[in-house]
Amino acid sequence: MKKVRLLGICCNWSPFACYNAAGMAKLKMPDNFKLIRVMCIGRINQALVLRAFEYGADGVILLECSDEDCRYGPGPEIGHENVKRVRKLLHLLGINQERLVEKSFAAHEKEEFVNALWEFADKMETLGPVTQQKTAAHV
Amino acid sequence: MKKKIDQIIQDRSLYQCLECGKCTAVCPRRLTGKEYSPRLLAHKVIVEREDESFIENAVWECLTCDICSERCPSGVDFSGFILEMRELLAETKGLKGYRAHDGAIHSWMRMMTAPELKQNRLEWITEDLKIAAAGDVAYFVGCAPYFDIFFAGIEVDTLTIARDSIRLLNFLDIQPVLLPDERCCGHDLLWTGDRANFERLQKLNYETFKNAGIREVIVSCPECYQILSEYMPKVIPEFDLKITLLLDLIQKQMHKGGTVFEPLKRRATFQDPCRLSRMLNREAGPRDLLNSIPSLRFTEMEHNGRSAICCGNSAFINCDAHSKQIQIQRLQEAKNTGSDLLVTACPKCMIHLTCALRDRVKQGKFNLEIRDLMSIVADRIKWYGG
Repeated sequence: MKKVRLLGICCNWSPFACYNAAGMAKLKMPDNFKLIRVMCIGRINQALVLRAFEYGADGVILLECSDEDCRYGPGPEIGHENVKRVRKLLHLLGINQERLVEKSFAAHEKEEFVNALWEFADKMETLGPVTQQKTAAHV
Repeated sequence: MKKKIDQIIQDRSLYQCLECGKCTAVCPRRLTGKEYSPRLLAHKVIVEREDESFIENAVWECLTCDICSERCPSGVDFSGFILEMRELLAETKGLKGYRAHDGAIHSWMRMMTAPELKQNRLEWITEDLKIAAAGDVAYFVGCAPYFDIFFAGIEVDTLTIARDSIRLLNFLDIQPVLLPDERCCGHDLLWTGDRANFERLQKLNYETFKNAGIREVIVSCPECYQILSEYMPKVIPEFDLKITLLLDLIQKQMHKGGTVFEPLKRRATFQDPCRLSRMLNREAGPRDLLNSIPSLRFTEMEHNGRSAICCGNSAFINCDAHSKQIQIQRLQEAKNTGSDLLVTACPKCMIHLTCALRDRVKQGKFNLEIRDLMSIVADRIKWYGG
């Protein structure tokens, strides 16, 4: 089966601590992932998520802190709002809304983190690549 | 590159420039204090072309509102010059200007260039709208469903324009076909220099119309109308569709007789969309309609018709503090007429002016309602004796 292309956008704090710990513990993670570290998921706006799909991602997962853990304040809430809107745009464009997922973690949840990545990767594998081939010339 | 620029200058009559500076004197961006001058840009591109950084910056500053060409005594087509320069700079240097909303809008427009696209773009249709499953007349919805979601935060309801336009068509006994796979008209990609994707959209849209057996396309948005009627035929040599502006259709029906308007007790003013008034020469149409509504006190803003000032932004690039200032000034002008209803005829004007209206600092200062002309007409028009 053709592998799908996945993007994880990872908050620098709790989720990245999980990622780090998972790496130290040598837990196996899906290899068709690109992971981008950002200071806070509140940094990510609708445009950046949409652009991931424009540039050919088959699935995007936002890895964020839980609402009460945000180091800056409203980060995850902004994440929820953006996910809600971008999902509606994806639906208009005929792209399955489940291709955009958000998941929150506490700093010690490395197993949960790895499991979430696997679960997401498996689900995207069943959905397969986005059928609209990326024929657009990106300017 | 040099040859190409020479060609653009010649095609767009820049050599006719007298350096009188009228363009800069009316430029809305310049008037809000932006370091930008159409005259200086014309000068640099003709005689000081080595100042590349200046030219590359200035080309993306223009609003393409065309008021400079309106004032130019030599007939320089400045907006056309900007359009071609952007295409050239995008192609040769990968420039794209500073995109508002981080380019989300251009993203979805480019995503629509995929030929396999299967959109879910018609879920907003309400039961009272009469739509034909097949036929030869289509209504072009454009990006309204997308704007409706993206700008939900400032409470702009662009789909209302589409619904009211269809209501109007139904009133005229036209049941339009709505195409599930119609795409963005490409206006914003064209005006930000993305020629390749613009042409893809034209071909895909034309194919969609043809496959559905469409012969006439009715459009309410002036930008979509301009693209479909003027630019699409240049991309498609065998183009043979009839493109109709809904405003024209209503105006024609009104003069044929048989329709009346119910009174509307409001004071209203009108924001001319640049595409509609200056580029498509339709400044009389909206006034014709508004002046026909009984009890409606229609007052012109200080700058109106062909001299109207832009809503602050075009093609979703270079939105900044100056854009906001242009919008605030425009709202102030509207307020100064004593109106509480600001009518516009383009969804983009509606989005941009609403954005300024909802500005937290200015909140409540302008007690204005912004509505599209088609919504007002759809609300008030009746058959005589009916």
